[in-house]
Amino acid sequence: MSATEPVDELSATQFEEHKALEAEEAIQGRPFELSAVRGGLLGKFANDKLAFVAIGWLVMIVFVAIFASWIAPYGQSQGTLGDADKSPVWNGGSWDHIFGTTPQGYDILSRLIHGARTSLVIGIAVVLAAGLFGVVIGLISGYKGGRTDRLLMGWVDVQVSFPGLLMALLLLMVLRGSVQTVILVLAINGWMVYARMTRGVVLSMKERPFVEAAEIIGARPRRVIMTHVLPNLVSPLATLATLEFARIVLAEAALSFLGLGIQFPQTSWGTDAAQGGQFINRNPWPAIYPGLALTITVLAVNIVAAWLRVAFDPQEREKRHAATVIAGAKQL
Amino acid sequence: MKRRIYGTLVVLALAGAACGGGDDEGDGAETAEATAEATAEATDDAATAEATDTAATAEATGEGLTIALGSEPTSLDPHTVDDGGERAINDNIYETLLARDENGDLIPGLAADLPTQVDATTWEFTLREGVTFHDGTPFNADAVVASVDRIVRLVAETKTQNDGFFGSLTGATKVDDVTVQITTAEQDGVLPARMYWLKITAPGTESSDDLSEAPNGTGPFKFVERVTGSNIDLAANADYWGGAPSIGSVRFEFAEESATRLAGLSSGKYDLITNLAPQDTGQAPQVLTAQGQEHPNFILDVDEGITSDPNVRLALNLAVDKDAIVETLFGGFAVVDAGQHLSPSILGHNPDLTPFPYDPDEAKRLIEEAGVAGETIQLVGQAGRWLKDKELIEATASYWQEAGLNVQVESLEFGAYLDVLFDRENRADAIFVSSSNDILDPDRQLSTYYQAGGIGSSNSDQALSDLIDQGRQELDAAARDAIYQEAVKIAYDGAYFVWTVNNEDVYGASERLVWTPRVDSKLLVKDMSLS
Amino acid sequence: MATFLVRRLLQGVIVVVAAAIFVFVATRAVGDPVDFILPLSASEEQRENLRVELGFDRPMSEQFVDYAGDVARLDFGESTYLNDDALTVVFDYLPKTLQLVGFGMLISLVTSVPLGVLASRKPGGRLDKILTTASLTGLSMPQFFLGQVLVAVFITRLTWFDPGPGPWHKNLVLPAICMALPAVGRLAMTVRSAMIEELNSQYVKVARAKGMPARRVSGVHALRNAGIPFVTLYGWELIRALAGYTVVVETVFAWPGLGFVLIQGIKERDFYLVQASVFVVAVLVVVISIVIDLVYKALDPRVQLS
Repeated sequence: MSATEPVDELSATQFEEHKALEAEEAIQGRPFELSAVRGGLLGKFANDKLAFVAIGWLVMIVFVAIFASWIAPYGQSQGTLGDADKSPVWNGGSWDHIFGTTPQGYDILSRLIHGARTSLVIGIAVVLAAGLFGVVIGLISGYKGGRTDRLLMGWVDVQVSFPGLLMALLLLMVLRGSVQTVILVLAINGWMVYARMTRGVVLSMKERPFVEAAEIIGARPRRVIMTHVLPNLVSPLATLATLEFARIVLAEAALSFLGLGIQFPQTSWGTDAAQGGQFINRNPWPAIYPGLALTITVLAVNIVAAWLRVAFDPQEREKRHAATVIAGAKQL
Repeated sequence: MKRRIYGTLVVLALAGAACGGGDDEGDGAETAEATAEATAEATDDAATAEATDTAATAEATGEGLTIALGSEPTSLDPHTVDDGGERAINDNIYETLLARDENGDLIPGLAADLPTQVDATTWEFTLREGVTFHDGTPFNADAVVASVDRIVRLVAETKTQNDGFFGSLTGATKVDDVTVQITTAEQDGVLPARMYWLKITAPGTESSDDLSEAPNGTGPFKFVERVTGSNIDLAANADYWGGAPSIGSVRFEFAEESATRLAGLSSGKYDLITNLAPQDTGQAPQVLTAQGQEHPNFILDVDEGITSDPNVRLALNLAVDKDAIVETLFGGFAVVDAGQHLSPSILGHNPDLTPFPYDPDEAKRLIEEAGVAGETIQLVGQAGRWLKDKELIEATASYWQEAGLNVQVESLEFGAYLDVLFDRENRADAIFVSSSNDILDPDRQLSTYYQAGGIGSSNSDQALSDLIDQGRQELDAAARDAIYQEAVKIAYDGAYFVWTVNNEDVYGASERLVWTPRVDSKLLVKDMSLS
Repeated sequence: MATFLVRRLLQGVIVVVAAAIFVFVATRAVGDPVDFILPLSASEEQRENLRVELGFDRPMSEQFVDYAGDVARLDFGESTYLNDDALTVVFDYLPKTLQLVGFGMLISLVTSVPLGVLASRKPGGRLDKILTTASLTGLSMPQFFLGQVLVAVFITRLTWFDPGPGPWHKNLVLPAICMALPAVGRLAMTVRSAMIEELNSQYVKVARAKGMPARRVSGVHALRNAGIPFVTLYGWELIRALAGYTVVVETVFAWPGLGFVLIQGIKERDFYLVQASVFVVAVLVVVISIVIDLVYKALDPRVQLS
């Protein structure tokens, strides 16, 4: 698909880039939040404060996840039924279990802390694995062009139209749910978007005069990639990876809910929210804590993704500026 | 312009709905909303139509009620599958030669009286007269012969999951219209109980492989319609020999999650829901219970590994706080298991056995004394099949951990779990299983879990095995009782299992439903009424 | 146009074939369904007999050839779990999924466009911030968690709705909302950003300079162009929903759709049912994605399908 009849110069470039991006994300049903920034969601300091809070939250979660074993007062599946259903400290409980305990007798705070580790490990590992593989495929495809390109992109097209969740469920049935297999399955499912994006960037780079020039004077492909292509990949990759991370965390939760994800004695927010959900009529808190932890973390990641895009992309910043001006003009 | 975009999008939304829906529904819907509405209304209409049908067929125009089950029947064939959903429905459509009273004792059903023994392997039943099938066919000896022949054939061809119940049958012969003789391969004291389990189908069904399309029994309710996935409707049989039921029609629906079933009970959609989770009982308008046959327990490897030491097996029992399991996991809807798989309502239950106490210190001491402290014990289980299975496994693992062992839990998908359960060569240290007893005869559980070589047994106790064989062939009830009591005591003394609880069947019901659940867990709508 | 269709159809066939191969390999890697079909007490001999009868004892290559032939004839065998023709079972459950998806997509359509347009009116304004944050929250929430909360609040406590199948206003509304919410967030964000971008573009500025009222500009020019990325995303949301993502919602609300029965099939090792449903879903996805491309083309004449 290509735009053949640009209305004017500005909308021509906008249209293409916009479309390319939308298509990339849309193809996977990706969150669209990065578009949220356009027009200046974060154009005001007040909104940057939101990003600031989001980053603060994420830093805390990462810290908690890294030092989980030290911070958590109890092990992830430690506790017997004798300790079950203890109230949180602000509701008549003791300081032994600040957030109270689950119907199984586990310390809720400790479960949240260990769950943070599982959820983050899975999110990061999947993003790294899928990202690395996707970028390599995208680089090869974009750089070699021709038959290789058609073959690789054909593969991408086919896998993209594959019912991904079904595939994940089937694979987990074979492999049995654990942190490692969930990572593997989600990575297999999610690399295509990186490949497409990387290829797009390579193609647009290839046509730039300085790249052409570099090739003409005999610079080796690897060098061209290293010096010209990769730097231009950083900003879209950062945004994409962040969004993917948010998606992966939710996907893991869904798999765990369906009983094919993380298994005892390992735990994740998804498993805990699902297990707590069975008790939602008697005592909703063991479900609400991990459920909220998931929601807030994913929300924070989404906000940061939006912010990243503006921060990284000068063109966006300009657009935002323009939008603010217009918005201001409108108010007059 | 705006409209045009909306229009396009609606078409797009439709494209999705129409592409797949067109072929099988055959309705050319015009908008997505119309599709949804039309189908929903069609369902409604169908429901009203059925209700009218029901009213027309049932002379006693009793009110209808809706029951939510945990799972959809995998088939409506009364003989091929072993599945709670199928039983809940077919127990109302079909009947058996013998039934059970409220205490679990056998009483005549389609038979006019309890059977008499002709010789070691032949039993004679006299049949009730004046009973007809829903399609008008009279019930007689031919029907019994057809049913027995059918099940014998299905067992031989491994086309039924019920071969454990009927493997000993060899056939039936008609003596006259109301007298029939049933034969077994060897002397079989369990036969009356088996005839409580065999649903009687009409003459001519013996050669059929699948009776699921048009269930035709003698029971108090007639099959009306099945909408796969959604509902199964039955209507009262006004001509029922036991008198027309007070409920005019019954609809069965299916919801996997207890919270969802409860939601439907609260919203007034359901009158009765099965397997109400203990944590949801506080919300139900009415909670009905019966002492069930379910005994979740852990099979220990008596022959090898660290569990081959009787003191370790004892310690594993002492380490578990059964009272906490009753209170916390089952919300009080269970009793601590008295060290045996047999409920009090079953023959062979040994009243002298008492539950192992909860004594964590003694457990720890025994573990240390046996020199296995800190060693790994493998615990294999699976989640989601039985009430609170996952929670029970986790809780027990925690208790064993506290007793000083390193518990390695393997929570498997059901297929992989079965592979472990069936593995005769390498018995896992401990396997979780929830043992039930559908036909209320002790042989079922003992030959499966207690007897050496049984499908879920992890011991090679010859004396125990001989006793179980002896019990199966004994015909005198009192003598059988004594034999089985001795058998369960052997397993108790040797702590061959870790027993936990005997949980109750818990139902949630609307305010207006009047019903007493049964010890045999049958969901008989004819016993229900609305106030 | 014709070449485009041929190419897409060809690609679609590859997708379906790949899905069929994948599902064969995955199911065979699990083992066989024999233990699930037979009673627990069946002997090893009986198990072996059934294995032979169902052909699971034969070499994988032979099994595959048979399977390929059956698939080509659209014969997926008998579901071992639901004891009926597998394809029949799939078509028994599919309509419920289509109802859910159809209604959910309708909800997301009629809510996301006004929300996005509203938010784009004053970028960075209070309303914008509220709507944007709400959209982001909606799409950041785990769907099963949302569903469980909806059931507990609106069915169990308030008793406004019913679980399970039934008339749409009692039974379909809630699961459809649960299914639509993340999509609404994404779609509203798209509409918003596309609108802002269009409102900033030269031609809108020109229109405004020529004296066209702001409202009209927004309605006529901007919305039309903003519709293009929206349609792309809307189409993919539709595909995503049909590609099995309804399973969570169907489970929570006991809505008997295809996703629900598929998860049963997977848990019960019902190979035939899994094969049939994956095949049907793959075909659906392929067909709909082609339709979307055509709609796309109709909406934006600048797009060339090549």
